[in-house]
Amino acid sequence: MDIQTVSLAAIGSHLLVGLSRAMILFIVSSGLSFVLGVLRVPNVAHGSLYMIGAFAAFSISTFVGGGTTGFILSLVFAPLFVALISLVAERSLFRFLYEREHLMLLLFTFALMLILGDLVKMVWGADYRSIMAPEFLQGSVSIFGSPFPVYNLFLLAVGPIVAVGLWFFSNKTKIGKIARAAAVDMEMVGAIGINVSWVFAFAFVLGCFLAGLGGALVAPTVSVTLGMDHDIIIEAFLIVTIGGLGNMWGAMAGSLIFGITQSFGVLFWPQFAIVFPYLAVVIVLTWRPKGMLKSVW
Amino acid sequence: MKRRGNRYSLIKTHFAIFTCLCIITVLLLPTSALARNIRVGIIDCYSGPAAVYGQDALNGFKLALEDINKKGVLGGKIEFMTRDTKFKVDIALNMAKELVLRKDVDVLVGTINSGAAMAVSAAVAKAEKVPFITWISKSERITGEKGHRYVFSAGENTAMAGKAGGVALSKKPYRRYWIAGDDYEYGHAIGNAAWRNLKANKADVEKIGESWWKPGEPDLIPYITAILTAKPDAVIFCTGGRSMTNIMKAVKATGMAKKVPIYIHSATDHAVLKPLGKEAPEGVLGTMDYHFYYPETPENKKFAQEFQAKYGTPPGFPAFHGYITAKFIAAAFEQAGSLNKEKFIDALENLEVMSPAGMVRMRACDHQAVLPMYLGVTKKEAGKDYIVASDIVTLTGDDVMPSCEEIRQARGK
Repeated sequence: MDIQTVSLAAIGSHLLVGLSRAMILFIVSSGLSFVLGVLRVPNVAHGSLYMIGAFAAFSISTFVGGGTTGFILSLVFAPLFVALISLVAERSLFRFLYEREHLMLLLFTFALMLILGDLVKMVWGADYRSIMAPEFLQGSVSIFGSPFPVYNLFLLAVGPIVAVGLWFFSNKTKIGKIARAAAVDMEMVGAIGINVSWVFAFAFVLGCFLAGLGGALVAPTVSVTLGMDHDIIIEAFLIVTIGGLGNMWGAMAGSLIFGITQSFGVLFWPQFAIVFPYLAVVIVLTWRPKGMLKSVW
Repeated sequence: MKRRGNRYSLIKTHFAIFTCLCIITVLLLPTSALARNIRVGIIDCYSGPAAVYGQDALNGFKLALEDINKKGVLGGKIEFMTRDTKFKVDIALNMAKELVLRKDVDVLVGTINSGAAMAVSAAVAKAEKVPFITWISKSERITGEKGHRYVFSAGENTAMAGKAGGVALSKKPYRRYWIAGDDYEYGHAIGNAAWRNLKANKADVEKIGESWWKPGEPDLIPYITAILTAKPDAVIFCTGGRSMTNIMKAVKATGMAKKVPIYIHSATDHAVLKPLGKEAPEGVLGTMDYHFYYPETPENKKFAQEFQAKYGTPPGFPAFHGYITAKFIAAAFEQAGSLNKEKFIDALENLEVMSPAGMVRMRACDHQAVLPMYLGVTKKEAGKDYIVASDIVTLTGDDVMPSCEEIRQARGK
């Protein structure tokens, strides 16, 4: 089959589609990047928290009977629920392990991913779950002559809000500045009388909150099911790697590359669309092995 | 005195042990010498997204066993062991080998993963001469070109689904088609089968493009907009499992079903439609091998009610195939009159059992169960909070299955 010939309108519409996908990827991978940057923990269980976020959104939304209220409540409480789980995990497990080498942490979080995956199966079962987008975000509008789901427009708005919020937090608030400082020199921060342990807990919980938010946001567009964790964690790690470990804007750039190459791949060469984002990763890493932006490691 | 006492107690102990052994031997004698339980080894996926199918099939199997074991088979019962393949081919192979070589199972049963089913069929069933019945793996190659004496299918396959879809579509006026689906065995197999049959029945159809995504791909919107840009007359989606929910959501969100006719095998599957509730798109043409609400026969109603009562949910297609698999196993051993594997295979060929969908025969030439297929369109129905298949047309097994001659050709004989 030939490579598809396409119009400008199709390119425009696919750019938007790619951008909206990039927003979800950004929200999840910025959380992963934050944890990597501040705590130096390669949290493989991040994807599981994303999955729990989606399942929690399903439960909350179903509990209040769906609709707009259900959607908004799920967006608020599902990430908080995930944050609570991560707080428990941090205080009971992670905080004893920060000094260990990365391989240990990798194995530990991998084990945690398997455990969380089985817990989700025990709590929610193996069935496919689904929630609806609220009334005002259903349907599609015509952009560049192609139907574009309203919900994806909503995602396009949420992504930048989260990015700006994160930037504001880490650059303008005291705790954000402390967290950044702790990432660079933990002992020095401790030496000036700050309880580093709690700073780490806070950073970890915030990162996991973002995973939960990503899960809650993606829930209305996909089937909420076991296995979501595996899908997202690979993509999130690739994004964080090409962006620069621990760099929030790197996560943004990586997500955009990932989302847009995927969407354009589908447009230009649909049989091999799967390959494009990974090809982009290879190219970026050949060009800049430490990622595009400055890594904090 | 002391020594004698010791010797007496020693003799007493020996005597006690001897008596115990005698009693145990006598107790075990009738079962071990005359009849033993039939051991069925089940390899299927019980974790990850495909677990929903594996579990449903197992429930159907267990429900059938309840009845079967009340009477018993050849003086024993049917017992089973399950192994989780985690949807992986290598794990499935190891598990199947373990069940055959160490647990000495009489029959192997499995699995939702077609790739795993084919690997087990070739490397375990054929090599170790153990009958293997696939119940929900849908690749037509299992009983088609890769078929052999030791593999059976109690489920539908992509050739049947594709033929049903291809024949149904050939009666429609569409000419320019786009084919899209999951990039793995099942997706491509069903796409090929549908296209082959469509082309055979209507020569002037044209395939204007294809797109393939990884199974479970969360974001299908770019695929849909790309397809709509190409303006095909109709679209064939070849997906299964969780991609089904994703594609149905994307179809609904983009309003695609109103713009272009869509055919998806298993679009009318309750497992797909129920979680979507009223969010499922209407007007999608689909084929399905089992509905718990159709046909409205006493057998089907009884099966659906019993299943619902026991497991709290209506039976899906895997439960149906699990159920008939158990029936086939019991009936074949009864007819064979022994636990000999070769006699079991001979008995299973051309065997007929009663199923919720009527009598089902195991065709001798390819070891494929002759099952009907239901063509329908997704539609809202009053009083139901989920979308159902409507205007159902039943295609009989003989309508949708490749002929024995075609099977022989596929196997290169």
